[in-house]
Amino acid sequence: MKYFRVLLAALQEIFDESAYLRFCAREHIPPGRSSYKRFIRELYGSKPAKLKCC
Amino acid sequence: MRFGIRLLAWVVASLFGALALATIAFHRGEEINALWLVVAASASYAVGYRFYSKFVAAKVLALDAQRATPAERLENGRDFVPTNKWVVFGHHFAAIAGPGPLVGPVLAAQFGYLPGTLWIVIGAVFGGCVQDFVILLFSVRRDGKSLTEMAQQEIGRVGGLVAYGSVLSILVILLAVCALIVVNALKQSPWGAFTIAMTIPIALLMGIYLRRLRPGRVLETSLLGFILVLAAIWGGQWASETPAVARYFTLSAPGLAIAIIVYGFAASALPVWLLLAPRDYLSTFVKLGTIALLVAGIVVMHPTLHMPALTRFTDGSGPVFGGKVFPFAFITIACGAISGFHSLISSGTTPKLIRREKEIRMVGYGAMLAESMVAIMATVAACVLQPGTYFAINSPAGIVGQLPETAARTITGWGFPVSASRMHALAQSVGEQTLFNRTGGAPAFAVGMAHIFSGSLGGQAVLALWYHFALMFEALFILTVLDAGTRVGRFMVQDALGHISRPMGRTSWYPSILITSGLIVGAWGYFLWQGIRDPLGGINSLWPLFGIANQLLAAVALCVATTIIIKTHGAKYALVTLAPLAWLVTVTFTASWHKIFDPNPRVGFLAQARQLATAGGNARLIFNARLDALVTAILIAMVSLLIVESLRHWRDVLSGRREAPLTEAPFVLTRFAEEQG
Repeated sequence: MKYFRVLLAALQEIFDESAYLRFCAREHIPPGRSSYKRFIRELYGSKPAKLKCC
Repeated sequence: MRFGIRLLAWVVASLFGALALATIAFHRGEEINALWLVVAASASYAVGYRFYSKFVAAKVLALDAQRATPAERLENGRDFVPTNKWVVFGHHFAAIAGPGPLVGPVLAAQFGYLPGTLWIVIGAVFGGCVQDFVILLFSVRRDGKSLTEMAQQEIGRVGGLVAYGSVLSILVILLAVCALIVVNALKQSPWGAFTIAMTIPIALLMGIYLRRLRPGRVLETSLLGFILVLAAIWGGQWASETPAVARYFTLSAPGLAIAIIVYGFAASALPVWLLLAPRDYLSTFVKLGTIALLVAGIVVMHPTLHMPALTRFTDGSGPVFGGKVFPFAFITIACGAISGFHSLISSGTTPKLIRREKEIRMVGYGAMLAESMVAIMATVAACVLQPGTYFAINSPAGIVGQLPETAARTITGWGFPVSASRMHALAQSVGEQTLFNRTGGAPAFAVGMAHIFSGSLGGQAVLALWYHFALMFEALFILTVLDAGTRVGRFMVQDALGHISRPMGRTSWYPSILITSGLIVGAWGYFLWQGIRDPLGGINSLWPLFGIANQLLAAVALCVATTIIIKTHGAKYALVTLAPLAWLVTVTFTASWHKIFDPNPRVGFLAQARQLATAGGNARLIFNARLDALVTAILIAMVSLLIVESLRHWRDVLSGRREAPLTEAPFVLTRFAEEQG
């Protein structure tokens, strides 16, 4: 169960789900359409897209 | 007692690894099982991690369990977030594992399985893992600074400028090579082209689903996207067998190149949520799943390698790309052994997530070992093919001839029997019209992977599905690098132009977005076009150019790392980074010399230009060969400048002529100090 939790947490971090929840907590806003729109704008808008290696 | 058992276990592991390495190194004339490669690599990685990385961590880097990381000190819930080490490991691995460790080893297999395997294992343990590890630690100690910032801080303005120039050059060449691989994999392949084309509406659908229906549910959306992609693979078979549909997806190389250039521009300029982000998630999902599947498939099937340990092409006459095993094997395989691009990831997001310094060893060194293992799997996928089949797929028409019979005769004449009818049957079984001249590595990898998978899941009946799954996986992977890379390049150009014209530096100003996207897409699009017009297949010129650029970036990273080590310890531990740096400089400078001046037109760009000019060849091709020579020379000149600057720094620091102030953030006691491990 512990391994599954760690695996799930890793996947949530890789897929930005954790980052989105942190964003909502930081901005004190509930998860939803407008908060997700703002989150994506913050994640990709003001800095280069996440770098992927070759 | 426990110490004794542990010691015994490590002695056994070391002996087992040595036995496996000796088997793959000295076995001649008989085929060997792929598991020997897996065991040799696993044992070497285990010993390297346990002993060498521990030495580097304790003596060279002096990882401090008491010291707070920037994730803790600067925690903001956004960039800086203390994160569980396994989560950071997964995050870091997902970022560093790209198509490189799959394509490079497949191309280098023309020398046989031995050179590539040894370079992957030894290069990773002593080079790639060390680079990723030390850059990650140095970035953590400097509040998550990027490689470019560290180069400027430690080596001066020249260091910063060279790092910036190298990153931009490598990006442009990388994107061109990536696009060329996709073109070569999908040309005249209606099934493959249909599947990949479908990933665009699937990504758009995912974007809308994520934005409107289930905001933030990325894993769930990616799973749905994956199911749709599987349906698209299945639908591709129908498309390829329905002439009215197939003709729209049977594209020539120039047609595909134009489509990819338009796609790259659109992906860079469109809203991120609509295409880029969902596509990124989809490809990550497929990537992680497929790598796990590939590892399991090889371990379960433990196929036999048909490729010999060494082929006759170590002499430089290979059809896949020209050049001798030294230095070309070492620039062909970058990711998997050592890749400069990783230093950008190690000084990007990852250092801002590290919770404790002690965890850096596992993330930096460990994740690179995992990537190296992926490269070993790619070597296996290429070498399970009959050598004749491998060379038939990977040899350009300019070398083996246009007609299947001619190509088969040429390859058989090299001592690797293959027949046109056997290749035709193989093409039929994977749902392609032909597998001759499918250069670039991706189709050969897909055939090898399909061969391994079909042996364990579904048999020969589903070979075509596995082949197109593998092709889709690589193309999707590569297109994600293409759109994310174009966007990163756009930001870099905007950043530079912002110093000249302030509005051009505004990342949200649409004219700036269009102009800079056009500049970046135009740059890689030019090289892509050059690649598809190249009678030798394009990969022959562009992959070595990419390898040189990538390894030179690694040289930049190792220069920065050596400078910091010398400032901290003097010359005592400098060899840890200086040795891989010296090797890379030797390899890349030798390769560059050959690529520019070698009298063989298949190797040297200038000789190629001369040959074309003598034969009254196309003026554009002559110009392109000279341009490639110039690009190589500029890359070498930039890195030479940095090396000279670094040498001056090291001499001054070691002789006491220059002060060596540490640029690390001040020590702060961590609140996680009481945690074990």
